[in-house]
Amino acid sequence: MNEYILQVRNLHKYFAELEVLKGINLDVSKGEIISIIGSSGSGKSTLLRCINFLEQPTQGQIIYHGVNFTERQQDLIDLRKNIAMVFQQFNLFNNLSVIDNLTIAPVKVLHKDKTASKAKAMEILDLVGMKEFAYKNTKLLSGGQKQRVAIARSLMMDPEIILFDEPTSALDPEMVGEVLDVMKNLAQTGITMLIVTHEMQFAREISDRVIFMHEGIVHEEGLPEEIFMHPKETRTQDFLKRVIKG
Amino acid sequence: MSRLVKGILTFVVAFAIIFALQQNESVLASDIETDSQEIIEAYDNIRFYSSYNYQTLTEDRLNQLIVDFYVPATYGDVTITWSLTSDFLTLSDNIETISVQSTSGLVDISVYHVSIVKVPTILQGDQVFELVGYFQYQDVSATSSYFGTLVPTIPDTFYGGVLYTFIRYIKLFLEGAALTLGISLVGTVIGFFLALLIVSGKTLTISDFDTSFVRAMKQVLQKISSFYIVLFRGTPMIVQASFFWYGLGLFGDALLCGLFVVSLNTAAYIAEIIRGGINSIESGQTEASKSLGMTRFQTMRYIILPQAIKNSMPAIGNEFVINIKDTAVLSVIGIFELFNQTRKIAGMHYRQLEAYFVVAIIYLVLTYTVTSLLKRVEKRMDLPVKELPSSN
Repeated sequence: MNEYILQVRNLHKYFAELEVLKGINLDVSKGEIISIIGSSGSGKSTLLRCINFLEQPTQGQIIYHGVNFTERQQDLIDLRKNIAMVFQQFNLFNNLSVIDNLTIAPVKVLHKDKTASKAKAMEILDLVGMKEFAYKNTKLLSGGQKQRVAIARSLMMDPEIILFDEPTSALDPEMVGEVLDVMKNLAQTGITMLIVTHEMQFAREISDRVIFMHEGIVHEEGLPEEIFMHPKETRTQDFLKRVIKG
Repeated sequence: MSRLVKGILTFVVAFAIIFALQQNESVLASDIETDSQEIIEAYDNIRFYSSYNYQTLTEDRLNQLIVDFYVPATYGDVTITWSLTSDFLTLSDNIETISVQSTSGLVDISVYHVSIVKVPTILQGDQVFELVGYFQYQDVSATSSYFGTLVPTIPDTFYGGVLYTFIRYIKLFLEGAALTLGISLVGTVIGFFLALLIVSGKTLTISDFDTSFVRAMKQVLQKISSFYIVLFRGTPMIVQASFFWYGLGLFGDALLCGLFVVSLNTAAYIAEIIRGGINSIESGQTEASKSLGMTRFQTMRYIILPQAIKNSMPAIGNEFVINIKDTAVLSVIGIFELFNQTRKIAGMHYRQLEAYFVVAIIYLVLTYTVTSLLKRVEKRMDLPVKELPSSN
């Protein structure tokens, strides 16, 4: 019954001689919200980037709905249509207005009608509280606003899964809240989310499952309560002690 | 063959003249009508002589007058008195005698001397004068007007020469400038589109799942693009122009060939500019585009290139300005753009200094104006502003 929509099998990733991922296994069910925590350089972001092939896995399998995309790379676009990504640096398209940032992929990739896409974009912008900025230049937005637009952009594709790669790490502290609020609202909708984050409180509140990564392997995983309140591994304990103190 | 034709022609003409003279004689024998006939003939056949070697002044030369000249006092038996109204010329009162070359050797002719008292300056311009001849033969008389033009001559001073060259030949300069601007602009525009092709070739990326055929094709295209850029940036445009025009005789039209060379040359430079523009776009946008399922082509077309081109606009504008200067080398294949036009002008009076001084100013005005216009556009478009460009 419990069928996984996304499975990562024995994933290895080398950057030249450096082994960043050392055999990751991960199963994701529909609607699940998973937070990935760990110190810098533990491979969290690389894992996320391998899932939609922004990084080419060196070894292992990425299986989405039973299809092993490591062997079906010519169909990568099908995978990416369904797995959206939100970046630490927002990565908005600077030559396009806010609304065009949202509509370009549906119109060009999914061949959706332009006016219908615009209407939908306005709804989604309303959802993230950015409706009045629809026709603004992206340069004029604050970091928090940019990230909310980036989230809206990812939603335009009606993805099954959204990958969040440290979505609040590049933000000024006072802007973190607005982005986390949007993500919390999103979590209510039943969409599947994989979140790499350093916001421990947030991870604890929102997640169904928390994964602690260390030096390229999944060191510990479990319910948020277990990981945050009763971490079994000493590494996890050390990490949490350091982070929560800070 | 042509000698034969010439011989026949000479014969026919000589015969016609003899025939005409015989006719004249017979006409002269009659009365009053003959007298007026003489006069009509007089002012039909009147000739002026230049003070320079006593050459006959044709009507054309009379309109480009730069030296003194002589008007005849008689024509056969017909006496001619002249009047001249001009601030620049005077007519002598006394009759002089000059020897002019004719078919029957030197012939002495009685003439009045028309001398230039004042050379018109270039600012005063061409001076049209009217010579009125009063023809008298026995008791019959007639008057007739002849028009000529006294033109300014180039002053000996530098500033005078510059002013003269500029005003006198402004039309030729402007024709050259128009051609220069035209070739530069069209060459830059065509070069831009060619550059897009070259850049697409050069920035092809080989991905892990390309078939070996696709991979080989991409590598070949990359090599060709790189070679093109090296070739055209590494050789002087004057050599390229000579190669395509004198070597290959391309298009059979120097102007088209020149345009072709400028376009190819500019393409190589703009390709490197755009490639720099592409590299300056942070990779995050490409990743975002990929993550939304866009193909590489779509990413380039809708996201990267618009930004790269916009950022490259100032540098591409500089290429246009550089072309305004560098198209001077097209004079080597005989295109009369601004520089070549100037060489022509300089040769007219053998006054190189003035001609090249004037053209230097014209080039400066062109490049400065275009640069300031581009700067204004750049400011409007919110682009990074660049300084006046140096040559390639």
